[in-house]
Parts: sequence; C-alpha cells; structure tokens
Amino acid sequence: MAYVATRGGERAIAQAERLYREDLGPVDRDRVTAIARSLPWLVDRVMGEASLYEPELAALALAQTGGDLYEAVLLLRAWRTTQPRLAIAQPVTQDRLFTLRRISAAFKDIPGGQILGPTLDYSHRILATGVLEDQPLTPAPVQKADHPAPPHHPSLAAWQKAQGLVADPPREEVAPDAIPDLTREPLLFPAPRAHRLQSLARADSGGVLALGYSAMRGYGNAHPTVNELRLAEAELRVRHPRGTVFSAGRVKISQAEVAAKNGGTRIRLGFAATLGWNEVKVISAATLDLNAAGAAKGAPTEEEFFLYHTEPVEASGFCIHFKLPHYVTFQSSLDAMRDAKAGGAATTETGPPAGCSDRSGDSAGASAAAALPDPVEPIRETTE
Amino acid sequence: MTALGELTRPWQAMSYGFLDPSAKRELRRAMLKAVAVPGCQIPYASREVPMARGWGTGGLQVTLTLVNPGSVVKVIDQGADDSVNAVSIRQFVEKVTGARGTWDTQEATILQSRHRIPEERLREDQILVLQVPNPEPLRPVQPNMSVARQMHADADYGRLWLVLYEQIVRSGRIMQGASYPAMVNDRHVMTPSPIPRWDLPKLNMARHLTLLSAGREKRIFAVPPFTRVEPLAFADIPFRVEDHASLVCHRSGVTGFFMNEIPQAGGDSRHELSDSHFGIKAIRRAEGEAVEIGATWYRNGAMS
Repeated sequence: MAYVATRGGERAIAQAERLYREDLGPVDRDRVTAIARSLPWLVDRVMGEASLYEPELAALALAQTGGDLYEAVLLLRAWRTTQPRLAIAQPVTQDRLFTLRRISAAFKDIPGGQILGPTLDYSHRILATGVLEDQPLTPAPVQKADHPAPPHHPSLAAWQKAQGLVADPPREEVAPDAIPDLTREPLLFPAPRAHRLQSLARADSGGVLALGYSAMRGYGNAHPTVNELRLAEAELRVRHPRGTVFSAGRVKISQAEVAAKNGGTRIRLGFAATLGWNEVKVISAATLDLNAAGAAKGAPTEEEFFLYHTEPVEASGFCIHFKLPHYVTFQSSLDAMRDAKAGGAATTETGPPAGCSDRSGDSAGASAAAALPDPVEPIRETTE
Repeated sequence: MTALGELTRPWQAMSYGFLDPSAKRELRRAMLKAVAVPGCQIPYASREVPMARGWGTGGLQVTLTLVNPGSVVKVIDQGADDSVNAVSIRQFVEKVTGARGTWDTQEATILQSRHRIPEERLREDQILVLQVPNPEPLRPVQPNMSVARQMHADADYGRLWLVLYEQIVRSGRIMQGASYPAMVNDRHVMTPSPIPRWDLPKLNMARHLTLLSAGREKRIFAVPPFTRVEPLAFADIPFRVEDHASLVCHRSGVTGFFMNEIPQAGGDSRHELSDSHFGIKAIRRAEGEAVEIGATWYRNGAMS
C-alpha cells in the first residue's frame, strides 16, 4: 500500500491548522472585548466589507483570524448568508440621520453648518513612541461648544435640487420585498442601481481606493468634489407584525456624495454609503459611481470592471486559490508544448507523430524549435 | 394568541447541508434551467460558504443542494481523493449532511471534482459536479461578461476558432491545454472546466449528468445525459488528447490512462496514474485482493 502511505492529506491539513491556531493562542471573550474596544475603525471596516453590522461578531472574527482581514470578512459573510431575514427596515433619509460629522468641500458653509466631528484629518502624524516608555497617550478632554450641534442636518443636495442645480427625479416607491438584494440575486449588467450601491457598500476598501484613485488621477471622466461627507448613526425602524413601527437600534454608517462640475448645466452626483465609519471607502466608491456613466468597456470606472474587481471575498479567494495544485492543467499544456517543440503536428494524422513523446530534448527537437521560434506574445488559450 | 415559539422550529446552529432553504431553492431552479439549455451559463446568487472563493465553492453549493443523508460523496482534486483541499471539502460535506464519504468512483452517488473526470465510466445514477474557476470560454477574446453574454446569444464563436487557428499558425499545432472549448448540443460553446483534453470525450453522450458550477463567477451550466459535446477542431486538424496512451504508471504498472509526471533528480521523469483511487485498486488487484474495477472510458489508451 505504498501508494497510500506516501500521501497524508487528512493529517497534514489538521496539523497545519493547529500550527496556525497555536500561534494565535486561546481566543476568549476578553480578547474579543479588547479588540472591539481598542480597534473600532478596524471593526467598522470589517463590518462594512462583511455587510453585517454586529461589532461583537466582527471583533470575534478578527480575534479568530488573528487580524487577517480577508479571512475575517469571509467568516462573517459565511455566517451572515445563513441567517434568516426577520424584517426589512424602513428607508432612512439623510435628514433623519443622527449626524456626528458632516463636511462639504463644495461651499464654505452650508445650511446646517460644517460639523467636523471626530477626525484625525488635522492631526500631526507623529508616532507616539513615548507610549513604549511608559508615557501613555492620554487624550486631552474635549471642550464642549457653547451650543451643541443639532443631531439632524438637511441634505445639501436638497438645497441644490431646490436651486435647480441637481436633477430631482421623482421618488420611486418600492415595496420592501421588491428591493433588489445583491446577496440573494446574481449581479448582472447593467446592474440595477441598488445592486451597484450594495456591491460598493460591501466592497474591499483597498480595492475601491485603488480603482477610485485611478479615476481621481485622470483615468476617469469626472474629477470629484466632496459635495457632502457624513459619519452618522441611522435608526433602524422596523414594522412589528402587529403594525407598530419601532426602533430596533442604531447602526453607524458613512456616506459620501461627490459632485462633477463638468456635467453641463447641472451638477452630477456620485453616491456611496457603507456600514461603519470608513471615509476613504465611501469617497472612492462615490467617485466610481460618479464616473460609471458612459465609461468605456474595460475602463477601471466601468461598472462591470469595478464591481467585479473590488469584491473582497471573491478577489482574495481567487488570489489564494493559486496555491492549490494545478499539475493536471500544467501537464496538459506541457504535452502540447513538447509536441510543438518536437516538430509540431499540423498534419492530418490523427495519431501523434513519431518522437513527440520524446522527453529528452534531442537534436531533432532542438532544430524544430529553431524553425519555430517562441512567439514574443504569449499564445492565447481560451480559458483558465 | 399564537406564541412566537410556535411559529418557528427549534433553533439550530446550521441548516441541513449548511445552505438555508432559500439558497437551495434558487440553486435547484438554476440547475433545472442549466439542464434544460445544455451548456448555457445560468447566473445564480452564489452564497458565501465556509471556504474561500476559488476553492470549490460553486461545486460545493451544488453538492450541498443535491446531497441527502443517503448520498455517498467522492471528492477529488487533480484526480486525488486525499489531496488537501479535496479532503477538506469531503470532510465538510460529511460533517454538515451526514452523507458518507468514499474514495471509490463506483460507489459514489455524487462526485465533486476539480480538474479531472475519473477513469471509470459513470452511470445514470451518478452525478458529476465539476468545480469551475472561469465559466466563460470567451474570456480570453472578450473579458467583458456583458459582451460575452451577447456573443453567446448570437452563437458568435468566430473569435474562438480564430484563437485555435492562430495557435496552429504560430506553433504548428493547437496549443490549448486543459479547459478545451467544446460545443454542447450544437448550440452553446462551453469550457469543460480545466479538465485535461483526455477527459473531454468522456462528456460526449455520457450516461451521467454533469453539473459545472463556478461559485466566484456565479454561473452554473450542465451537460445532461446523452448530450453531444464536441471539441472545437478543424476538419483537417482534429482534436487530440494528451499523448499519454503509452505511459506506464511506475506504482501500479498500469498503462493507457492520464498520468502525473514526477520529475526525477537524475533528469528524467516517472509517471503515476492521475486517478489516484483507480491506481490503488489496480495495485490491490495486482496484490491478489478481490477488487472490483469498473469499465473504463479508455481501453488500451483509446476512447472506447
């Protein structure tokens, strides 16, 4: 039974996982709590990409994977997809958001005011090495404003619509069950707007940044101006089977609206929102949304291109799948390569020509190879 | 008044077969459509499963939808049952469905495979589930899926023929390795997934149903039983499988099947059967055990 003895797949994978987990050590509730408390922005990023708002589960996923973000997102996605849909929340309009940060680059001041809120935007990025010498980084207390900022703010686009600067299409009434749901339907193109925004909401932050940045640098047709950027909390208003509408809690959300100035007589807007606070992601995603209209096939700003290539679970999974054995496909190509090298077989024979199975690279093979030089451009194969 | 508890079933950590009923229902509909239009790619939502995309999640979703506690499931990767990812998938299916795993092609009711079709003939009561990395044969000539979809609608496959012609002009022969494009039922060109050319004739007029599922790309297609599957080729330059007919497996002594090449330190190569359990059975039989080996698609190195 030598054939079997040389193979040990079952034992190997069990021990490989143990080795990984041993390095991480035991994962307990304290570790999860510490992650949730100390890394809220990371937790937010993971919740956004997982499209699952549950800070404790996101912290657990981070603990369980040791902070491998793609693994953490996959854990949460695989958990979320099996969960039942209990209810569909009512739509949240911008003026109903509990807004903690809201800025516009398009105007010096806007109705409702510019609210800086919590941000590192104007901090000096100096590494606090003192912390390692027992000088903890203790935040200075926040001095409250004389008048607290109002919790709700109008949307700047509402003002722009009233001015006739932004198109104001009539609101479409869609029954909750009829809202397209990317997680339960395939993505097809042209995608319904709901699918595009849902896909961007759960997109890979880094991927969306890379493609959004390419559009910002000049591979897009529109230069974005941040019309309005918000970090907020949205109330989840759900209808009870008895008919009462009640709040099931709040979720942190980010949203960005970016404007193009080159749209003729009107401002064109691009929009993106995601669960959790992640400004880079929503500004990049809104830029892609803004640039999608009329983008050339295959451009980074084309809807199909950016939605397919910023899906974190698909992209990371396919990338790591190249670690899997591919020796059958490799063997299949080697067969054709050796045969071509040995003189080719562009003949009407059905059987292989003499010598094509010769693996030694003899002189006949070498001279045939000289007659047919390796092409400069790789030869296209039809798949794989 | 009805209590909430009466409306729901007792809580369970996981649905039978991991996927929830809505996911299975969607997949069943997609499978039926795929069977009804052989070779046509049917989009489906493709749920996340507890494995990375690109690691057989499409095949896994099909297997999890087809499986029942009486199923016998074989999973292979590159022809091997004990390849690490095949082991992982089979263990997962066993764990979440209670189905029995097997290495034996004859015994399996569902065979999930990456890159190979077993050498023993499959029967009417068996289903082959192929994992598909890229469901689109047109991808190299048209990476945009919306455009490719239109080309399928128009049966516009001229550029695929051109790729093959180009290979002949530049290299003296068709250079396509695995994933050789094939016309299904005279209508849709499909990629048979990256199986070697050796395995492609096994799909033509086969007795079994083949479901090909790409989880990451969210497409499923099928070759129903007794369906024509014809590799694209030219009248004067026919389709050729890998030249493995005369290779000898150094472990089992068997000849006439698809082999893995194992480079040796001395500069030469040895070969071993790629269908690993077929090889095990051959060794056992040679050692005098009463092992049943099914009829094979190839006999004496040629398709029979």
